Amino acid sequence: MYVSADLLINALAAGLLLGGFYAAVTVGVSISFGILDIVNIAHPGFIILGSYIAYIVNTRLGIDPIIAAVVLAPAFYALGALVYQVYYASFERYGQESLRGLAFFFGLLFVTEVTLILVFGVDYRYVDAPYIGPSIQIGLIDLPLRMLVPCLVALALIGALQLFLSRSFLGRAIMAVAQDQLALQLMAASPTRIKRIAFALSIATTAIAGALLIVIQPVEPSIGREYIGRVFAICVLGGLGSLPGTLIGAFLLGIVESVTSTFYGPSWAPAVAFGFLLITLAVRPAGLFGR
Amino acid sequence: MRTFTFALICVAVAAATFVAARLVGNDYVFFAGYVVLQYIVLATAWNILGGYTGYVNFGSAAFFALGAYATVFLHKAFPVVTTYFVDEPYALPIPVLIVIGAVISGIVGLGMGYLTLRLRGAFFAIATLALAVVLQTFITNWSYVGGSRGAYVIRPNDIEPIGPYIQYLFLLMLALAVLALVVARSIERSRLGLGFAAIRDDELAAEASGVPTLKLKLIATTISGALMGMAGAPFPYYIGYLQPTSAFALDYAVNSIAMPMIGGTTSWIGPLIGAILLGSLQQVATVTISSSVNLLIVGLLIVDCVIIAPTGILGLLQGRRTARDVVADPAVFSLLFAVNVIPIYFLHQEAFAARPLEIIFWAVLIFLAFARGRLIGLRWLVGLPIAGAALSMVPDPPRLIMALVLAICLVAGLVRRPRDPVARSTP
Amino acid sequence: MTALLEVDNVSKRFGGFVALDGINLSVKAGERLGLIGPNGSGKSTLVNCICGTLSNETGTVCFDGATMNGLTAHERTRRGLARSFQLPRPFASLSVAENLRVPLLYTVNARSGPHLSAAEIDARTAELLSLVGLANRGSQQPRDLTQVDMRKLELARALAAEPKLLIADESMAGLSNNEVADIVALLIRLNERGITIIMIEHIMRAVMSFSQRLVVLVSGKKIADGAPDTVIRDPEVERAYLGQ
Repeated sequence: MYVSADLLINALAAGLLLGGFYAAVTVGVSISFGILDIVNIAHPGFIILGSYIAYIVNTRLGIDPIIAAVVLAPAFYALGALVYQVYYASFERYGQESLRGLAFFFGLLFVTEVTLILVFGVDYRYVDAPYIGPSIQIGLIDLPLRMLVPCLVALALIGALQLFLSRSFLGRAIMAVAQDQLALQLMAASPTRIKRIAFALSIATTAIAGALLIVIQPVEPSIGREYIGRVFAICVLGGLGSLPGTLIGAFLLGIVESVTSTFYGPSWAPAVAFGFLLITLAVRPAGLFGR
Repeated sequence: MRTFTFALICVAVAAATFVAARLVGNDYVFFAGYVVLQYIVLATAWNILGGYTGYVNFGSAAFFALGAYATVFLHKAFPVVTTYFVDEPYALPIPVLIVIGAVISGIVGLGMGYLTLRLRGAFFAIATLALAVVLQTFITNWSYVGGSRGAYVIRPNDIEPIGPYIQYLFLLMLALAVLALVVARSIERSRLGLGFAAIRDDELAAEASGVPTLKLKLIATTISGALMGMAGAPFPYYIGYLQPTSAFALDYAVNSIAMPMIGGTTSWIGPLIGAILLGSLQQVATVTISSSVNLLIVGLLIVDCVIIAPTGILGLLQGRRTARDVVADPAVFSLLFAVNVIPIYFLHQEAFAARPLEIIFWAVLIFLAFARGRLIGLRWLVGLPIAGAALSMVPDPPRLIMALVLAICLVAGLVRRPRDPVARSTP
Repeated sequence: MTALLEVDNVSKRFGGFVALDGINLSVKAGERLGLIGPNGSGKSTLVNCICGTLSNETGTVCFDGATMNGLTAHERTRRGLARSFQLPRPFASLSVAENLRVPLLYTVNARSGPHLSAAEIDARTAELLSLVGLANRGSQQPRDLTQVDMRKLELARALAAEPKLLIADESMAGLSNNEVADIVALLIRLNERGITIIMIEHIMRAVMSFSQRLVVLVSGKKIADGAPDTVIRDPEVERAYLGQ
């Protein structure tokens, strides 16, 4: 097959931009699964919820979706805190999190997705913003703004989170709770409260990731399911608990998906992520940068 | 009771079921019954890996669809085989297809298990999700078996000496259900079952006690996968036209988890109860509500069950109390309360015939209000959702008043804290 | 004579933290070894490496003349290496008696030689429960046991595997003086029947009365190895326990 340099370079560039976005989608799971060891497979459900809320705000009030998401993030934070509290009170306290905790999140994923279907229907929804449409040209490379802006926002989000986790007291307490809960208790910090804050933070990121998603592509409720595999593939590939690892893993996946899509057709895209996941789990489960 | 005796009893019950179904005189019983039987097999199969061994499989649809598509492939590859049962030539007899489906799904289960079971249970669960999507993508892109356009499997109208073809399929599925139950029960009572339980309770301690955990987990995955593949093999003949979206339908993943959890995961009876109850409910409801609302109900039942009645119906019957104290946490009370209002709202918008399904969720709300009310000393709290339920039964229910009643209940339930500190011991 | 257990230069790291640093240990058949050290010194990590729950990065573990590297925990248990867990890990959904059936069915019956019949298993279960002081509690559930009873169950479960070498990890925490004496007497009786025992304990009275040899672990390193009276008077050991 003829591989033109032009096509390849653009596929790579698109892959990088896509990867940046994927990192924003995944960073919440890096926190909840990588650091807190909670398998929140409902994460994509929250992202789609975020997309739809951004959609409503954008179509009813005309506000830019990303700005709306940042404003709404605290509401998602509260929701995350609520969900964690339920998870803790019902499962974690009793050590039942493996079977029942998983089933709980699975149920939540379905409830969220189907409720959205019932409210909004299965039509694709999209938002309107000044950067959806135009692109900038750098030499051979064509960078659509609707991919570039989300990528930049994603990088900013991850940078902010990494700073928070490594520099602030609360952030370091979160990293600590993953490693030694007893020591944390002895320092008079409540592990449950710290975990709740961390989980709430991970759900808050879904508000922003959801807005980014609907900027990049039109959204319908069942799209969330494609992202389950991507999110966990990136998390595992990058190494659990490592935000820089998540970023690298996301870029890798984005590039591979983009190249596959360009040269073999988009219908193979879902298999790429999941294939990645299976291979990583089989070969190097600790990921590239894992602990 | 010895396994052989149990098997005989199952066969007798199955035969009686078949005869009773024929007496009804309406083929619809067979069509609906086939689906319920299918779920008995799927739920039982899931439970061997999930309930007995503690490893959650989110990709039941993958193994089911493998069996179904193996049938489609063989149907296309070997279209003409004559047997003396039927006049027209048709593909390999279904029992053979069932065995092939079992072997293929079993091998895939084994392979996937080998790749992922050395890691933690969470990774295995995620990998099963991945498997389902990868398989669906492959099959959607594989035009030999029809790809996304689908494949037709022509089935004969009648088969001697039984009669209508659907009755033959029903009989086959009955046999599979009996097989699944016998397998599950004999595992439960055997050394293998004890090993599974040890793995589920504490895998590290099981290893230290001499249990070869990897080997046993692989056995569980293989048996579970094989049974699911068997359930899938006759499916193309049942449905006539098979598309990836129907073979990999969400219903299979959700139901094969919901049914054992609602019925009770510790024994073979649990998935049976869950499959019969939930399966029949869905068959009845399928006429009156959309498939989305159906999935909503099942998803919500999973959430309710897992928090309120973690041991399922079986646990309730055995006298294990529900986790009543868990509503002491205001977050649990408010999330569960809010989330159970959703299906009531949507069921109201469906046909009137769907209303009875609401009762399930009114019952949950009443239970929540009762338990919470008792803990915070507001015993009248339970009256509010009861009133709401009564209101919803009238032909033209006052939605606003119902919403108000529920809102008051939620707020009132949250203003006070429980009077007695909740015991910290495990339920 | 060659040692029953030979630990040769075993190291284990967790990320940047060195839990075990080149541990050498030799245990003769029939010996009673005491293993002591402050919390966090690596005792449980060492046990995990010996028994296969964790894999050591360097060094080898040899048991009964065969190298254990690469063998899974259950294989090592079947070869005769049993341990109790420091924090009890019972099989919560099984009864106390069924907890003991697991090692009986999967270790004893998995070895070559005559298998126990169902009746023999029941008898053995009852015997083991009496041995540790849980007689007639077979039908109870682990969640109904006190912490102390759960430790006894841990010990019984390890014994059920009919080990050649038993590692008892803090089996006596929380017991009364009489109960401690009972368990020590039990372990000595088992030792006289031929089981080599490594006792990990903080209760010095028990360790001193039980051990023929004492090994001290501090911060992942072995700092003393010899007769209990001598080791106790070792200034480095004193420093580790009492501080400067």
